[in-house]
Amino acid sequence: MSFLEVRDICLDVGSFELKGIDLKAEKGDYVALIGPSGSGKSLLLETIIGFYGPRKGNVFLEGRDITFFSPDKRQISIVYQDNMLFPHMDIFENIAYALKKKLRDKKQIEMEVTQIAGVLGIKELLHRKPDTLSGGEKQRASLARSLVARPKLLLLDEPFSALDARTREKLREMLKKAIADYSTTVLHVTHDFEDVWALANRVVVIRKGEVMQAGDPESVFRRPSPDFVAEFLGTNVLKGTVKALEGKLAVIEADGLEIYSADPAEPGEDVTVSIRPEEIILAREAVESSARNTLRGKVSGIFKKEHLVVVEVKTGTAEIKAVITPTSCEMLGLEPGREMYVVFKASNARIIR
Amino acid sequence: MRFLKSPDVLKSLEILKHPEVIKSPDILKPQGMSRSWFRNLTIGIAFFFTLLLFLSIGVLLFVLKPSEILSALLSEEMFYSMKLSMLTSFASTFSVMCCSIPTAYALSRFSFPGKSLIKAVLGLPMAFPELVMGLALLLLFGHGFLGPYLEAAGIKVTFTKLGIVVAQFFVAFPYAVRVIYSTFEDINPRYEQVSRSFGYGEFETFRHVTLPMARSGLFASSVITFARCIGAFGAVLVLAGGSYMHTEVLPVTLYLNISYGNLEMAVTSGILLMGIAFLAILSFERFEGGRL
Repeated sequence: MSFLEVRDICLDVGSFELKGIDLKAEKGDYVALIGPSGSGKSLLLETIIGFYGPRKGNVFLEGRDITFFSPDKRQISIVYQDNMLFPHMDIFENIAYALKKKLRDKKQIEMEVTQIAGVLGIKELLHRKPDTLSGGEKQRASLARSLVARPKLLLLDEPFSALDARTREKLREMLKKAIADYSTTVLHVTHDFEDVWALANRVVVIRKGEVMQAGDPESVFRRPSPDFVAEFLGTNVLKGTVKALEGKLAVIEADGLEIYSADPAEPGEDVTVSIRPEEIILAREAVESSARNTLRGKVSGIFKKEHLVVVEVKTGTAEIKAVITPTSCEMLGLEPGREMYVVFKASNARIIR
Repeated sequence: MRFLKSPDVLKSLEILKHPEVIKSPDILKPQGMSRSWFRNLTIGIAFFFTLLLFLSIGVLLFVLKPSEILSALLSEEMFYSMKLSMLTSFASTFSVMCCSIPTAYALSRFSFPGKSLIKAVLGLPMAFPELVMGLALLLLFGHGFLGPYLEAAGIKVTFTKLGIVVAQFFVAFPYAVRVIYSTFEDINPRYEQVSRSFGYGEFETFRHVTLPMARSGLFASSVITFARCIGAFGAVLVLAGGSYMHTEVLPVTLYLNISYGNLEMAVTSGILLMGIAFLAILSFERFEGGRL
């Protein structure tokens, strides 16, 4: 039996519904749960931690059936998008609060708090009240509080989605280190594929209360099931090697293509490049433009979805997805087999390690 | 649109989720046509009646000479009534808080059969005349129903000081539940859930997280409760009788002295009640930001 096993969880709360969710995680796994909003990801977390009892199904942790344990008996902690730091306590008290049920000795509590504060870089903030901190600082404090008691399982419910891109990136690094230091198993609900790439070793795609796909990030992102493509658009992912640097741009060879990226890279480095489908322009002819990347390919698939059209273009050995409006689709006369150019800026080709 | 996650779309979604982000709704106010007759009429009405109200309060303050107020204040009857008012109101405020905090918490956090019934019954006294409430209490605690049993236990409610507390309690309780309920509703239950996940039980969580977070709301509602208790009249008069120097609280003093034609005493107790109400509203505004 796996470290964490969620079996056939069924539950409805308001307009959210889980329809027989199965999920497994080994000790030390970092599992990313992705899916469109309203798919029940957060509800699943709240069922695992015990805020909701499922109508059907079981949750096993370390082989024990904890489905109906009360939340205080599970040793699972959670970090929400809006930190939930207790406003009447300062940061030290907030973090210490998580320890007081476990440790009696004040000295020891202080030591543990200082240690986690060091890992997450909030030592200077310990005697401030939550409402005087920035979003990123609050979230670090919240992470510290959830990690300090060394829970068996850490649940993250979109912890970074209220932060700006740079803070997010910094926090990912810190989280990575903290997770390693505290060797915790993590379930992370996110909308952001960059979280998945930077942190997770497993991905579970949830849609309308059902698991659509599960596996390691690469296989899920590169060979998404058709439903997944339509419902939750991921990103284009290309794996390759940095061949050279041209000024500030990195030239990356990936899937038989040459891609320019504005992100810093070293020659010879193996990298993953991601390009968001909405940042891609489709053109009938190779146009002169400020975009550095112009790739030739053939349309291999067109999927209509509500107000948008997802177009897949086969270029090199890769299939690149682009999102356009139905009007542009008509104007371009897109149909499978048609030759097209895929255009995007070097700054939109993001390098992920 | 769900698929396009450009920062702009995200931002607009954020605004939809948090309407408070849209600061001052100036754009909603018509500009340039601010001298319309409708605007002037509404503002005029607002001023006129506030002024009238203010005047009536002022009259209360200036109808007596300071010496008259002082002598009324120092009279034995006023002293008795003030002391009794304070004592009973403190007692009833304390018991109201003890009962309304758990009630409001249960209504806010748990779902249970009969919840909507409780809510409806608690909403009743809002529109229910206080006098009728007093009558109902008189019948309940009188000879017909509970009276004999309570008397056997040595407790007499009707026409006693205890009756004052009971009447004040039932007048103020539904209001207190309402205010405290909204305080608890404003606290995201996720705070409590986070505390539970750290190994704290329900009561420990309530004590360490919910209560401190509700502190200012609870303080504000106890002030409002106190003001309602000390000002309660109809129910007190019917249940406790309002007899001279026995069950005489401030509103009763006002009433009794009006009927004797003793204006000084009546006005002075009026001023006292007004002062207390004013202080209560002030501190309520301060602690609850005037939300009601």
